[in-house]
Amino acid sequence: MIPEIGHFALALALALAIIQSIIPLLGANKGRLLWMQSARATSIGQLALVTVAFAALMRSFVISDFTVVNVVENSHSLKPMLYKIAGTWGSHEGSLLLWVLILTLFGAGVSVFGSNIAEALKARTLAVQAWISTGFLSFMLLTSNPFDRMFPPPEDGNDLNPLLQDVGLALHPPFLYLGYVGFSIVFSFAVAALLEGRVDAAWARWVRPWTLAAWMCLTAGIVLGSWWAYYELGWGGWWFWDPVENVSFMPWLLGTALLHSAIVTEKRDAFKSWTILLAILTFSLSLLGTFVVRSGLLTSVHAFAVDPERGLYILFLLALSIGGSLALYAWRAPMMEAGGVFKPISREAGLLVNNLILGVATGTVLFGTLYPLFLEAVADDKISVGAPFFNATFVPMMLPLVLLMGVGPFLSWKRADLPGVWQRVRFVAILSIVATLVNWYLQEGGPLLAHLSILLAIWLFLATLREWAMRIRLFDVPLSDSWHRARNLPRAAHGMTMAHAGLAVAMFGFIGSSAWKVEEVVFVAPGTTIEIAGFEVDFDGVERVRGPNYFADRGTLSVMKGGNPVTTLYPERRYYPIAESSTTESAIRSTLAGDLYASIAEPASEDAELSGAWTLRILYEPLVNFIWLGSAMLILGGGLSMSDRRLRIGAPKRKSVPATTTAPAE
Amino acid sequence: MIIAWMGLLAAISVGFVIWPLVRKNNKPLVIEDTTPAVLVDQLDEVQRDLDRNLISKTEANAAQLEIKRRMLTAARRGAPGRIADGGTGRGLLWSSALFVPAAAIAYYALMGSPEISSLAYADRQAERAERQKIVEITDKLYARLTSEPDGGASEGWMLLGQTYYRMGDFDRAVEAFETVAERADATSATYSMLAEALVSAEQGIVTPKAETAIDRAVVLDPSNPAGIFYKSLALSQRGEEPAAHDLLVSQLDTADGFAPWMEAFVAQANSIGEKLGRDRVSLTDYAPVVADAPGPTEEDVAAAEEMSGQDRAEFIRSMVGRLATRLQNAPDDLDGWLRLGNAYTVLGETDQAIEALKMAEKLLASLSSDDPRHKLVDQALSELQE
Repeated sequence: MIPEIGHFALALALALAIIQSIIPLLGANKGRLLWMQSARATSIGQLALVTVAFAALMRSFVISDFTVVNVVENSHSLKPMLYKIAGTWGSHEGSLLLWVLILTLFGAGVSVFGSNIAEALKARTLAVQAWISTGFLSFMLLTSNPFDRMFPPPEDGNDLNPLLQDVGLALHPPFLYLGYVGFSIVFSFAVAALLEGRVDAAWARWVRPWTLAAWMCLTAGIVLGSWWAYYELGWGGWWFWDPVENVSFMPWLLGTALLHSAIVTEKRDAFKSWTILLAILTFSLSLLGTFVVRSGLLTSVHAFAVDPERGLYILFLLALSIGGSLALYAWRAPMMEAGGVFKPISREAGLLVNNLILGVATGTVLFGTLYPLFLEAVADDKISVGAPFFNATFVPMMLPLVLLMGVGPFLSWKRADLPGVWQRVRFVAILSIVATLVNWYLQEGGPLLAHLSILLAIWLFLATLREWAMRIRLFDVPLSDSWHRARNLPRAAHGMTMAHAGLAVAMFGFIGSSAWKVEEVVFVAPGTTIEIAGFEVDFDGVERVRGPNYFADRGTLSVMKGGNPVTTLYPERRYYPIAESSTTESAIRSTLAGDLYASIAEPASEDAELSGAWTLRILYEPLVNFIWLGSAMLILGGGLSMSDRRLRIGAPKRKSVPATTTAPAE
Repeated sequence: MIIAWMGLLAAISVGFVIWPLVRKNNKPLVIEDTTPAVLVDQLDEVQRDLDRNLISKTEANAAQLEIKRRMLTAARRGAPGRIADGGTGRGLLWSSALFVPAAAIAYYALMGSPEISSLAYADRQAERAERQKIVEITDKLYARLTSEPDGGASEGWMLLGQTYYRMGDFDRAVEAFETVAERADATSATYSMLAEALVSAEQGIVTPKAETAIDRAVVLDPSNPAGIFYKSLALSQRGEEPAAHDLLVSQLDTADGFAPWMEAFVAQANSIGEKLGRDRVSLTDYAPVVADAPGPTEEDVAAAEEMSGQDRAEFIRSMVGRLATRLQNAPDDLDGWLRLGNAYTVLGETDQAIEALKMAEKLLASLSSDDPRHKLVDQALSELQE
């Protein structure tokens, strides 16, 4: 019964979405309050119904109800409970349901927290949001129903891909989707503004917290995915420029540009149509990501053609939303009033360059991702565009951006005083160069690009700190005064410092673990010793161990440094008999200085197997943990910025709270 | 029960749509209020920054001037847009409120499966025990056959193969049938069952090995329907669709009255014929009288005869269940409903038998009145309803 309730709830949600996509819009056009306000309840209703459906599916997974086809295909009675639950969004159908759940969550969020948004804009925004949910709910019900049933039920399920049985990955899709789909509400705001023909400071301010929320979740989603790839795939890499990664990275890049351009729209009334365009494109790229991953296009263009129903439907949705919104943009954007003017050297100009670089970088990634698919479709030629392409194009493009990031916060609005800025940062610049030279000496050379990147990372980190120190007048005034000033700074300012410094920290990780990585792949037999990055690693052999739904070959590696024992590593090769597949569980010794990373694979040949030899991959990745640390700082920075008091202001009734003169921490 | 829950959900959804009709109206917020509010807040912010020495006096002045200019622009944009409050437009909301459950129920009536109850894995202990028993019996049979000095009776191996086949263990079914196929007493049925298992093991693909078995089956008994069916499958997969179609139709032509294999032949002939643009064939062309509305196939009966009474009832029930499920998906199958009605009658489940025959009656309504099946249904129904 429960799955049927879920199915019915989805049908009701679709009907509500259809209502919500029409009536509030009519209300906004005709000035009818009742119709406009109907969006509030229906958007909450949609969330409630989709939640019922999601809970129904999750329950089916939890109790292993094999009358539900989706549970049969993606679960098994022996699977640990956590992964039964994660199985809810592990499949195509389930992940779409999660997608729609998040979509309605953001819609309801605007209803509940948007009491300070003008009625007409809110009605239009929620109507546009309902267009998207109508599209995806109908897609799900017509082509990918998670509640398809079968009777009699099979004896047991077909398991979830054991690669996906991992905490990092169980949490990765929800976060990624929170980010992807979070940009939907920004898109809806943008389309609503186009319909209304008006963008102003208030609009920019309302959009900002939603952009920040989506951006933070997307960052977390990407990082969790990267972290998973790092320790689960057994290669020790954290980014592969794989199309699946790229399609999540592109909305992140444009979303980052959007975050910055919305500031200009709010503060300076400029970049209006640019911000709108970014909002539209960011969500379009999220949709493109969903399409590319969900249509089977990635496996092969031809796989897409084999089961075209889903692919065509989502392609149609994609064309409609992207094409429609861009057409609306072309028609309405010229009517936007031009905003504040600025000089070529100013914060606006800096943010403009930031936006341009991020835009071009996104275009590069888009090209590298879609070109192979395009080529396969027209020329039937399979090529892969990988790290070499992106390292040669994307990475050099980012370096000037990092240089600019260090200077940008020093620039004032409208027109900036460049000599003055130079005076403030020259010490930082000199210090960065000296630090880089010292590193060069210590590393005894190394790739030029890596040293240049290190220079810029140090520069960004120090310049960001310098800007923050300047704001609180650190060392210019007594420390207690500085502390007082720091507490008085708007949280958004702390947020920026945290996020920019976070990127610098993450850069240390990117560079260290790529340019100075040491890797050994060797055949080992018990007793073999390998020396790597100053460690001596003894291979003590492999034993067979049992897990809840797998068995594993576990290697034992004793790690020593200078004759003293450091740690013991236990890399595993797991075999899941029901799913008939294997996974690699790498063993990692983590320190801030770097990770010692080991994974084992089956012996290369039968002869080797007989002699007890295994393939051991062992790596030393300097500074790799800085990536996770820096990413956490990025997310924290977004959170600080989002908690800024200003974002909660805007309605007359809220303004009645007097701003106290002592101004508590904002 | 399920109806009550769905009704509750539908009622709640209606409630969401009519919510604005029943709740008190707040004063609507218009953009002419909100934009100045944000600008005033920006002014305050500049002042606060100045008070805390975060910015200089000149910077503050410039910023304040600019914000004030924007306030003027905002004010100059004209009078607030008219918003009709209160009652106008109630009718549209009420009709939307009706649309929501109506649309959902219409969809669900088409796509829902309310008849399938939810079944937790933990609650299926009995089923697993039953399956376990079958596995044990099969294992025992396997052990006995392999331990016998003459390699075990061919009948035993055939039964074992069929059981494995029904359990979906095609590879072991192939193994069992192959054991018999290598013996002198192998019949056409041995080879056709071997072929069937081989094809199922390859997910429907006729491999060269399977085709060898098929050919052998047809040589031993040119009228073996299973052999001919798989021969046509092999032909159609090789791209020789016309030959495949001809083979099926010629076998149907030889039929003398209804036989259970004919349904599959007709369906297969039509699916190939569609691609070739040939005329559709119909079961009634070859079997004008569906004599006695036959039940399970001969093999099924043979297998059932070797089971204990309880197992047999269970076996028949599972077959009937399969037929019922298939008919849910293909409700236009008249002969299928007749067979289901017949089977339920045998099992003594009168209500379900009547239901199935009623379905058949409905389908018969569109056929000519001299169709012999009219009489069959009427007779069966009157017997059941006595």
